[in-house]
Amino acid sequence: MGREVSESCVDSLLTEMVSTYCNRFYANKPELAARRIEAIGYQVGHQLSERYTMERPRFTDHLEAIKFICKDFWSELFKKQIDNLKTNHRGTFVLQDNRFRWLTRMSVDPPQGESQDNSADGENKAAQATSMHLYFPCGIIRGALSNLGIPCAVSADISNLPACSFVVRIKV
Amino acid sequence: MIVCVAVVGHQNNPLYIQSFTEADDALKLHHIVHCSLDVVDERVNNPRKSGPTLNETFLGLLYPTENYKVYGYLTNTKVKFIMVTTDLDVRDADVRNFFRRFHAAYVDAVSNPFHVPGKKITSKTFAESVSTIVKSFGFSSAI
Amino acid sequence: MQNYPEELRTPPVRLISLVGCPDLHPTISNHLLSEQPPIHTLAFPDLSNISFLLPLPSSKESSEPSLSTPPPGILKRDWLLKRRTKVPAVVAALFPSLHVSGDPAQWLQLCSDLDHLKAVTRSRNIKLVVIIVHSDSRDDINEDRMIALRKRAEVDTKYVIFVKPNDASDLSQSLHRLRNSFSELANVYYKDEGRKLKTRIEKRTSSYTELNIRYCFKAAVYAEFLSDWIEALRFYEDAYNKLWEISGLPTKSLSIQRLVEIKTVAEHLHFKISTLLLHSGKVVEAVTWFRQHITLYSRLIGEPDTEFLHWEWMSRQFMVFAELLETSSTTSLSIPALGLGTGNKPLTEWEFHSAYYYQLAANYLKEKRSSFELISSMYINADELEKTTESLVPSVYVGQYCRLLEQVDVTLMQIVTDKEFLNNTIAGEKKHQEPFHMITLLKKAYESYSHAKAQRMSSFCACQIAKEYYAMDNLEEAKRHFDNVASLYRREGWITLLWEVLSYLRDLSRKHGIVKDYLEYSLEMAALPISFDVHMLSLRSKDCCPVNPATLDNREKIHNEVFNLVHEESVLASVEHGKELKVTGDNPVHLEIDLVSPLRLVLLASVAFHEQVIKPGVPTLITVSLLSHLPLTIELDQLEVHFNQSECNFIVVNAERLPSAAMASDKHGHRVEQAPSLALSSNKWLRMTYQIKSDQSGKLECTSVIAKIRPNFTICCRAESPASMDDLPVWKFENHLETLPTKDPALAFSGLKTIQVEELDPEVDLILSASTPALVGETFIVPVTVVSKGPDIHSGELKINLVDVRGGGLFSPRETESFSSSHHVELLGISGMEDNADSHLISDEAMKIKQSFGLISVPFLKRGEPWSCKLQIKWHRAKPIMLYVSLGYSPLSDDPNAQKINVHRSLQIDGKPAVTIGHHILLPFRRDALLLSRTKAIPQSDQSLSLPLNETCILVISAQNCTEVPLQLLSMSIEADNDGIEEKSCSIKNASSNLVDPALLTPGEEFKKVFTVTSEINSSKQIRLGNVLLRWKRYSKTEDQYDSNVGSVLTTQSLPDVDIEFSPLIVCMESPPYAILGDPFTYFIKIKNQSKLLQEVKFSLADVQSFVISGSHDDTISILPVSEHVLGYKLVPLASGMLQLPRFTLTSARYSASFQPSMAESTVFVFPSKPPCELADKGDAGPESSGPISTSLS
Repeated sequence: MGREVSESCVDSLLTEMVSTYCNRFYANKPELAARRIEAIGYQVGHQLSERYTMERPRFTDHLEAIKFICKDFWSELFKKQIDNLKTNHRGTFVLQDNRFRWLTRMSVDPPQGESQDNSADGENKAAQATSMHLYFPCGIIRGALSNLGIPCAVSADISNLPACSFVVRIKV
Repeated sequence: MIVCVAVVGHQNNPLYIQSFTEADDALKLHHIVHCSLDVVDERVNNPRKSGPTLNETFLGLLYPTENYKVYGYLTNTKVKFIMVTTDLDVRDADVRNFFRRFHAAYVDAVSNPFHVPGKKITSKTFAESVSTIVKSFGFSSAI
Repeated sequence: MQNYPEELRTPPVRLISLVGCPDLHPTISNHLLSEQPPIHTLAFPDLSNISFLLPLPSSKESSEPSLSTPPPGILKRDWLLKRRTKVPAVVAALFPSLHVSGDPAQWLQLCSDLDHLKAVTRSRNIKLVVIIVHSDSRDDINEDRMIALRKRAEVDTKYVIFVKPNDASDLSQSLHRLRNSFSELANVYYKDEGRKLKTRIEKRTSSYTELNIRYCFKAAVYAEFLSDWIEALRFYEDAYNKLWEISGLPTKSLSIQRLVEIKTVAEHLHFKISTLLLHSGKVVEAVTWFRQHITLYSRLIGEPDTEFLHWEWMSRQFMVFAELLETSSTTSLSIPALGLGTGNKPLTEWEFHSAYYYQLAANYLKEKRSSFELISSMYINADELEKTTESLVPSVYVGQYCRLLEQVDVTLMQIVTDKEFLNNTIAGEKKHQEPFHMITLLKKAYESYSHAKAQRMSSFCACQIAKEYYAMDNLEEAKRHFDNVASLYRREGWITLLWEVLSYLRDLSRKHGIVKDYLEYSLEMAALPISFDVHMLSLRSKDCCPVNPATLDNREKIHNEVFNLVHEESVLASVEHGKELKVTGDNPVHLEIDLVSPLRLVLLASVAFHEQVIKPGVPTLITVSLLSHLPLTIELDQLEVHFNQSECNFIVVNAERLPSAAMASDKHGHRVEQAPSLALSSNKWLRMTYQIKSDQSGKLECTSVIAKIRPNFTICCRAESPASMDDLPVWKFENHLETLPTKDPALAFSGLKTIQVEELDPEVDLILSASTPALVGETFIVPVTVVSKGPDIHSGELKINLVDVRGGGLFSPRETESFSSSHHVELLGISGMEDNADSHLISDEAMKIKQSFGLISVPFLKRGEPWSCKLQIKWHRAKPIMLYVSLGYSPLSDDPNAQKINVHRSLQIDGKPAVTIGHHILLPFRRDALLLSRTKAIPQSDQSLSLPLNETCILVISAQNCTEVPLQLLSMSIEADNDGIEEKSCSIKNASSNLVDPALLTPGEEFKKVFTVTSEINSSKQIRLGNVLLRWKRYSKTEDQYDSNVGSVLTTQSLPDVDIEFSPLIVCMESPPYAILGDPFTYFIKIKNQSKLLQEVKFSLADVQSFVISGSHDDTISILPVSEHVLGYKLVPLASGMLQLPRFTLTSARYSASFQPSMAESTVFVFPSKPPCELADKGDAGPESSGPISTSLS
């Protein structure tokens, strides 16, 4: 409590973590790297949810818990709320952040002066690298929700870059 | 005087249990704590009885037994805190205050990156802060 | 509750008394009892008896207890009973009417009786009713006597009641009246009594609280008599509060007996209050009241010597309240909607459950027992106890006891001193100990909690029950309960509680001398996760129970005990039963650990193959890992690894311990491996990797790992896959370092204890060859060839299966039409090889055939030797099917149990129809009959064909080859289908000659044959034309052309039904076969009336551009019966080519039907000039048109 670090530190830590796992520990096994990063996020989310729910009454249903993630939890993490929440009322929720903090410094501009093939390839690679960075926040959401008693699977979707949507599927 | 406090995980397994009596009734206190989980279940599953205290983390008096009173607290993350006291007249505010501080100590303990979620709490710091909180129970001046 | 006297337990019932006329008493008392609220009766046959019950009050007794001295007690014991059974509110005197109206002597007797009665009742304020019994309806009492009687009895008129027992209607009326009067008077009586007491209370006539309590109690009872529950409750509460004034004053120190008395009175008052509250449904109030009651009195423990009395009293309070709650909750109320969050002392859920009170009652009983044991051990040698042989009896006052002194003719009650009282109580208590009382209470609590699904509470009760049984040496019961409880604690990981339970269980099995149980419980205890954690250490027990503190030291101690025992180094004496615990060669111990056993902590075996699939005979690696949570390292002698294929089993021997066993294989021929050491240290995987291979295909699964720890001690552990290994119970909650069972982390997450051993590759060619689609009806041959490329084929077997491709099944039971069987496709048979058939004859017994399934055994085949057979399949319907043929054989030996290799082949075969048969009927050319049915009905395609009577029609049957192979048509005929119809309705004749040579039909080619149909009988029924029979076969050049019936197929198709109809009018048109441009010709139209009626017809001939017409265009003519009218026209063609003749329309007035000849018929070809050659007899040679043209020309 009361001990704070600068945001850029957190950003660098995230970048470094992702690159370490992807390029050093599990260089040729992106699935394993993704699983590890997600697991770290899971523990972080698990512990953070413990702290951020301290002073509030218990949630009665899933929607309340998801709303908590969208509003208070997100505000604590990113100083902004989730911009849009959609649900099919059957256990799937889509949380959209129009300007996801950890993606604001990302770029998918293909390298200049390359052939069409290579640029498509490069774009693909860049997208893959970006999605690597999203396993961590996915893990955070999953950790927080499962600590609140909602086992779920979380995936992320990036269509246009600083925006990002997280899809939460609650396991029955 | 608080004679026993406990943290119970969501599988009703004890994560931390500590008694503060000189007497040899630790086992009895463990039984009391264990039994009180039934009341917690009952309150959570049949919330109609709680009325205004619906979904509040503080569950209030769970049950009185011969010489003890058992209070409970259930966090959003389904972790239960149980407190057993010998005091006959306990102010609600004191108990609430106690649980709030206990919860804070717990959160600090499980936020340790080396703590594995769902496992027993073995942190010494936690044990110390819990005993401080227990000792200051009833003195409302102590925050 | 059952200990309380009846009068206290039930609400009081009003009491009246009947005197005289005993024969009427049962009628009256039954009536009074049956009504609501009931009234009890006290019956005396004779007036003189009453003085026994109600002796004349002596002046001394009637006066109030003196107000100056304190009363000796609070409540008199028998007061309540007296009010309920002895002191009536009303006395009813029954007199026979004879006595009233009789002679003066009787009257006088009556008067004196009344006087006596009055004297008795008046002093007690008891009300009087006089009942006069008319035995005979005739006698009447004169008015004077009645007045005298009333005056004498001093009662109101309405309280003198006549009863006529002989008159039923009157009797019931007077009974009703009686009851009203009784109840009225009784109420007055109780009200008066109550009022008296109330004034006393209000005036505070007595300065002694005891008396006030007594008054309040009495007032409350009187209120209860009146069913005034609120008032009663108020007075009981008053009494209770006043009682507390005596006892609750802290300054006063109360004597032992005084305290006992006060508590007993308080108990009674409390019982009354609780009952009243609960019966009026005020559960919350009752519970609150009980709580207050306990809080007040729990402080009044009294002197240390009498502590056990206090605990007993407390226990009883809880028990009684539990019983009250139980009975009231079964009858009326559920737990109320809790308004219990109110106030600073909210009520909790369990306080509405009787279980809670039973449990606490048991707790206090336990408290009582321990303090009693303490006190009795102090008194045990004292002589006083020996002396107190005579027992104390309850004295006059509630809660007081005294000694009964029997003297010559009187018994005296002597007040005892506190000391004597105490001695007596202790002595009494010793005599009447009830060991099962506590178990009963606990069982009630247990059941009630279980019912409320409070499993932890009920487990706690069960645990206490078990401890009681343990103390009583009832080992089976104790074990049963402990075992149940232990499973809950295991599941939820409450180690301290589990430790306690296991300690008991361990001790029980020691006492019983059951070595296996003893070892199991000991091992489990030793493997529990108890370390040096500070907060786990504070467990100590003061009870004389076998529970040692849960510490690491004790775990190690238990561990050593176990291993000493299995070492045969020590023998544990089981004192109680004279049995010894030992593990010897005669008495080996074998423990089984399965997937749910709590002993998984002790030994866990994880087995992982390094591969998922292997080929037979190819070695692979297997890792066997063992984990133990025992506190100390254990050495294993040997390890046996068992598989479902027992030849794979192997044994690992600890070379250090058993150097002699270093042989290649043991007596069972199992492989023996050597390991330098088999030491299993705490919480550390022992990993061993060995090679393994299997020769048998299928699943190879490691079933168990048997650890032989000592020669006489083995543990059999079910093997577990690392991929699906459950967490260890209890240990899963521990924050300890977990390691992986295998070195390779991937294997640790995905390793399996099973492996798939593949089958040997089949080295056999199984060839199915069928070229073309099968044709419906023929016997289709599918040759099957088996050639072995590798080893010989032993005991081969061919399975043949026909399956519908579309999954619809090969037959439908509904369609049982013209087919011999309901199967659409049928496996007819299997024929052997065509060449050297003698050596490979398929005997019938080697072949089992059903319609869609066949089984043939294949003879022994050497390598490279072919064998073949032919499957004969017949299609009854066009349908694609899948033919599955599988060959199973064993490559090695003839042994039927030897492993088989299976080869599967399949082939899809379409069944197609060979020919499509069509038909066409042509009516006579240019001769149109008026068919009424055709003109009237709406022309529809599916309408059956109508043929005119006595006309000859042409039937053309066509057969088209719709296959892709050439077919030979052998014959075509029409078979009349004269089922049941004797007379021939129409005759069908071959118009063209029979086939002499089989006609060759190339694919797509059509064959036509013409038949003439002449209808002869006018029949209203439809007429069957019959079936077309078509015999054909596949065309093959090699085959003998003339052996036509071999392999030929008969295809049958039925022709549609036709109507034969008599036509009244027939129109014939006659024109030359051709015309020449500009050359006039004559066109006749003959209208023939076939009917026997005059027919008026209207006709018209339309103009056409290509002809110039002479003749009447429109006219109406009449045609005589059976005659003909001819219209003749002269036509000049104006154009050449195929020209349409003028359209002729005929309308029959009689039938109001018009018809036209068809367009095709009314054409004529016009040559531009006269053709140079003769055209007269030239016609198409084809069978289609030769007939009609020749008829038209003739």
